[in-house]
Amino acid sequence: MLAFIWIASMIPGILLNLQSNTIDFDAVAYRTGVILAEDPGWPSSPPWEFYGDNQKYEISRFGMAIAKDSPGVLSQDKVNRFFCSSFMYPDDYQKWAIFGDYPYRFNISVKDIDGGTGQSVGDVLPDRYGYIRRLVKIKGTSNTSIGSAYFVAHKYINNTITAIPSDFNVTRHEFSILINNTKLREEQKSPAYQIDPTRDQIIINITDLRSTIFPGYNPGYIPSIDRSSVNISLTSIKVYKLDGGTLSMVRTFDTPYIDGSSTPKAPPVIVQDNISLIINPRIFDIMQTGYSNVYLNLTFEMQDHAVPPNPLNSSFLNNTLTTPFDYNYHPANVTQPQLRDAVMEVAVW
Amino acid sequence: MVNSGGQLYTIEGVAAGLIMLLTAYLVVGATSVYTPGDAHISDMQLEVLGSDALAMMDTPPNSSVTESPLQQIIETDDGSRFRNLFLNYTNVSGYGPKHDIQFSASYTYEAPDTTITSPPINSSRNLTGGEHAVRVTKWVIVNKKLPPLSADPPENRAVLVEVHLWRD
Repeated sequence: MLAFIWIASMIPGILLNLQSNTIDFDAVAYRTGVILAEDPGWPSSPPWEFYGDNQKYEISRFGMAIAKDSPGVLSQDKVNRFFCSSFMYPDDYQKWAIFGDYPYRFNISVKDIDGGTGQSVGDVLPDRYGYIRRLVKIKGTSNTSIGSAYFVAHKYINNTITAIPSDFNVTRHEFSILINNTKLREEQKSPAYQIDPTRDQIIINITDLRSTIFPGYNPGYIPSIDRSSVNISLTSIKVYKLDGGTLSMVRTFDTPYIDGSSTPKAPPVIVQDNISLIINPRIFDIMQTGYSNVYLNLTFEMQDHAVPPNPLNSSFLNNTLTTPFDYNYHPANVTQPQLRDAVMEVAVW
Repeated sequence: MVNSGGQLYTIEGVAAGLIMLLTAYLVVGATSVYTPGDAHISDMQLEVLGSDALAMMDTPPNSSVTESPLQQIIETDDGSRFRNLFLNYTNVSGYGPKHDIQFSASYTYEAPDTTITSPPINSSRNLTGGEHAVRVTKWVIVNKKLPPLSADPPENRAVLVEVHLWRD
């Protein structure tokens, strides 16, 4: 009789466990959804997504929000890193997103509705599971395309396009891009719309380079020219930092994408028509450029292979005599970060 | 003759009573855990979804756009745009289960004479009272004449957007 009573007294515990697990799954899914959608994760500076695979054990908590002040606005960089295959399912995610000792199985997904893409990690969903869905925005990257119209309008070609031969005959070809971090931080306070090179990738496309060789060519002044035989060589991309009035070269940037190629190529390199600079936020973070001006200086050389040679050295892209290209909030200069609709779903069982 | 038979019956009776009490405790205890827990979680999921939808509708897509879609909707009384956006957000399918969600939305403001008015925005279904609806709200600043027939020029006003939503 005593044994029977003792066994019977254990039954409520069993029932309670069965039921509380179901509630627990929903609660864990909710908690995970909040952590991922509303928190930027930890460490925050440098942020966890900058930690490479060797340093991943220093991460304390995942989180995809760009900042605590902007819950529901996710960073593209954090989203990509979160779903990176170098994190192991379920151990790494259990430790840094799900938490708790119970060995939960789960599936976490982010579907970019506007971008039409989706990423997910975890097991196939069973019949019953705890679930939460969060509607979020993903902050896109800012980018700029500097082309022939822009070169002409801003006198970025080192003659005044008068077609006077002496104006073409120049040897210095430098193009400078300014990233004024102080202004970028002060002119836009909201992290959702801020251009923050230390946290978000920025993309600079320089196109129509060949059009800047002998611009405004006038046969009356120069009898014959051959643009196609002039090789444009990108010799270096130097990164300067202006700190307390002192301009110093910090490093070179060695990963430009040339003429639409999918792999970067370090200068010196021959360019046909365009260059893409995809600048990873880690570069700015390592340089500690929080409030400094950063200049990217592209130096070109022209190699004339025309037969017979062109009578003059060609003018080319050069803004050392005018002003550097300013990467700012002006929509005419830079395509501003766009917030895209997305759905985050967390299922736990 | 007195023997121990009566004593045995007493012990048996007490034991049977204990077992009955225990059974009753088990039955009552088990059911009371199930019901409120489930209903609460389901409400919470719906509430999070509604709050998120309003938050997303109140976020401009980029810095060049000064007003969020929700502000524009209130200012122009564009109920059908609210309906499209809200249903699109709440019923959009990810990888999980589909949600058949209905809503009824209105906004509330205080007129200069301190009367409180709540004009409807739009609804996908009439709220009859039988639904198990949750309520989500969001304060929005709009530049609008309130009340619409007011002689004063439009000014920045805080209005409370209120949405009841429920599963079909």
